[in-house]
Amino acid sequence: MTAMTRILIRHEFILGILFVIVLFAMASQNDRFLTTANLLNQARLMTEVGLIAIPMTFVIVTGGIDLSVGSILGLCAILLGVFWQNLGLPLPAAIGLSLAAGTAAGFANGLIVTRFRVPPLIATLATLALYRGLAEGISQARSVRGYPDWFAVLGRGDFLGIPTQLWLFALVAAVGIFVLRFTTFGRTTYAIGNNEAAAEFSGLPVVRTKLLIYTASGFISALAAIVFVSRVSTTRSDMGSGIELEVITAVVLGGTSIFGGRGMVIGTLIGLCLMQILQNGLSLSGVRGDGTTVVIGAVLIVAVLISNLLSRFSSD
Amino acid sequence: MTPILELKNITKAFGPVKVLTGVNFDLRPGEVHALMGENGAGKSTMIRIAAGDHRAEEGEIRLDGDVRRFAGPREAQAEGIIVVHQELLLFPALSVAENVFLGHQPKTAAGLVDWGRMRREARDLLDRLDCPNLDVDQKVSRLSVADRQRVEIARALSRNARVLIMDEPTAALAEADVKRLLEVVRRLRSEGVAIVYVSHRMNEIFEIADRVTVLRDGVSVGTKPIAEVTEASLVSMMVGRDIHQLFPKEDIPRGEKRLELRSVSLAGVVEDISFDLHAGEILGIAGLVGSGRTELAQTIFGVTPATSGEILIDGKPQKIASVREAIDAGIAYVPEDRGTHGIIRAQPLRENVSMAILDRLTKFSVVDTGREQSLASDAIKRFSIRARDARQRVGQLSGGNQQKVVLAKWLATDPKILILDEPTRGVDVGAKTEIHRLMGDLAKKGLAILMISSELPEVLGMSDRVLVMREGRLSAIVDRKDASPAAVGAAMMQGRREPARAGAAR
Repeated sequence: MTAMTRILIRHEFILGILFVIVLFAMASQNDRFLTTANLLNQARLMTEVGLIAIPMTFVIVTGGIDLSVGSILGLCAILLGVFWQNLGLPLPAAIGLSLAAGTAAGFANGLIVTRFRVPPLIATLATLALYRGLAEGISQARSVRGYPDWFAVLGRGDFLGIPTQLWLFALVAAVGIFVLRFTTFGRTTYAIGNNEAAAEFSGLPVVRTKLLIYTASGFISALAAIVFVSRVSTTRSDMGSGIELEVITAVVLGGTSIFGGRGMVIGTLIGLCLMQILQNGLSLSGVRGDGTTVVIGAVLIVAVLISNLLSRFSSD
Repeated sequence: MTPILELKNITKAFGPVKVLTGVNFDLRPGEVHALMGENGAGKSTMIRIAAGDHRAEEGEIRLDGDVRRFAGPREAQAEGIIVVHQELLLFPALSVAENVFLGHQPKTAAGLVDWGRMRREARDLLDRLDCPNLDVDQKVSRLSVADRQRVEIARALSRNARVLIMDEPTAALAEADVKRLLEVVRRLRSEGVAIVYVSHRMNEIFEIADRVTVLRDGVSVGTKPIAEVTEASLVSMMVGRDIHQLFPKEDIPRGEKRLELRSVSLAGVVEDISFDLHAGEILGIAGLVGSGRTELAQTIFGVTPATSGEILIDGKPQKIASVREAIDAGIAYVPEDRGTHGIIRAQPLRENVSMAILDRLTKFSVVDTGREQSLASDAIKRFSIRARDARQRVGQLSGGNQQKVVLAKWLATDPKILILDEPTRGVDVGAKTEIHRLMGDLAKKGLAILMISSELPEVLGMSDRVLVMREGRLSAIVDRKDASPAAVGAAMMQGRREPARAGAAR
């Protein structure tokens, strides 16, 4: 098989084609869809899910899963409000502390998974409940409002004509692509997902790598919380609930194997964009929210089916 | 007498690899027919064909003189051809009676499982096997290996076995249990069951078998009544040549001391091991399955760090608490279980070869793929790995080539001490010889090699000294000149009274 056909039957490539098709289909349905303003706004809306999807790609490539990201987002959003308003800290300090809390929450996930060898599904299902419970307990169902104007720049402002948070997202995505693709850390991530025992027997730092990945997942979830709060300029304890499913959908749609060992950040990005334009395009065409969910589910299944079918034709 | 089961001129290939060529085998009612041969000689494939798991490309199977084609194992089982596999295929969470009758439970008129009858019949079968103490309601997970095997045999009898194929039934048994098992085999034979008995153990063969067939490299070398063969003639039939000719062992002057163990223990698994290993030396480790050989290797390699004792490298005490530390200290370990611990099937050859030295192939933690590629190309040339290119996934290679990938991966670390755990298991004859020659070359270059092997001819043929392990302890160190199958075999077996522990038997 030539290198060309190998690229052509990659999941990521097929997904890219699917993306273009959907893009044109949506554009032909509605002339408000394919406008710079709409597309940039959609990009703004997908940043929180997108940010978390980058470390989630790493997590799933190791064969793990992190269900607690939505709860960490909620917890960090609440903490931001509490540190700033209730404790009276300056907002930058509150942001720093909130990021630190998210990092710690991710580190705790990593410890439970590596040191106590709890399966990631169970471990993060437990912390999903735990962190959300903490968020609700701390917030006492009160919301925090009235953030200063400079803070809103992150979530609602532009920089060089592009939504501010999109620059942040691009940076995180670039780091993700680079680390997974080119570094020993990325190589170790794939090795763990394909055969953890063999990775250990090869002297690769399995525990350290997993710990770092879950910690990064917590940190980026906190970062997403800051962006979220800035965008909606309020904090509520139910922020980010259910976001983990959107994140995981984007990653899996992007071609990352849920069994680990396979996947690319670039695929995740395409999966993410596909989901977002489907949602937006369908709602512009007057399809209701539940209808959109059905379509996204169907696209996910079709994408995975096509990819499985084609991989049967390729020997590698 | 018409043979109950006859294989005629059987040929079988897996892809390009011919496993059996024109094999003949016949089994008479009420006989124990031993099947012998080295690992990879084709015994398992022959058994699988007889049991309907595989279909032969050529040749025929006759049952009671009639030509039969089995579409699958169920058809063979319906005719009473039952295999007791080496790795017992029981369901640990179910009871003894449930395991015995799984798939053919006695039913009541209403179509429900008739528990009373099932338990009664299971009881009768176990009594027939002379194990009145085995409780039919006991969960199988709580039984010893020997008892599990009895359950498996009872299961075979419950299907009215006429032909019972036993694949290395004593591999994991202690001496007392072996005796009881042979008793059971005799009893079944007197009831008219025909038994194919696969084993490497000479004393069992001479004790129990009526006839013996030897396979070598997929060809039947001969079938003889047991009275007409001796241990020596069987070995030469199996190996084909004199042991010392088969292995390209060269005399290499012993260099300085590389590795020394001083009463190293891993609590409860490996006890009080002391030995030394020199540059240019091949030290073989012999022992039965469960004797702690692999556990010792993994202790030295830092997978399961030693709980007491001292490891010295080049005369200096060295703490080895992790695989990383072992690699940094110059130790490499080619594991026994290639698929689980050696290779990553889904990843390309070049990523496998570089895996243990990734940290040395990087600049600011970015993998230098150029150097990685040339490392892999060199490995393909040096070890003559048959792969399309360095990008081919390792899972697509044959067993022998996979093993060469693992060897390449570990030699890339430039080790001083190389531990080889079953280096030629599941490897075809050609690759085996290449691996043996490579071991000689490495020793000549001053590597200290520790080799674990279950194949006695390999241990005896390749080693300068043989370290024999038994029940987690060192039972003897034998010099090459004194290393005979009898001497090493005796050290492996002597004083085995305790039943095999479940933990140690893995």
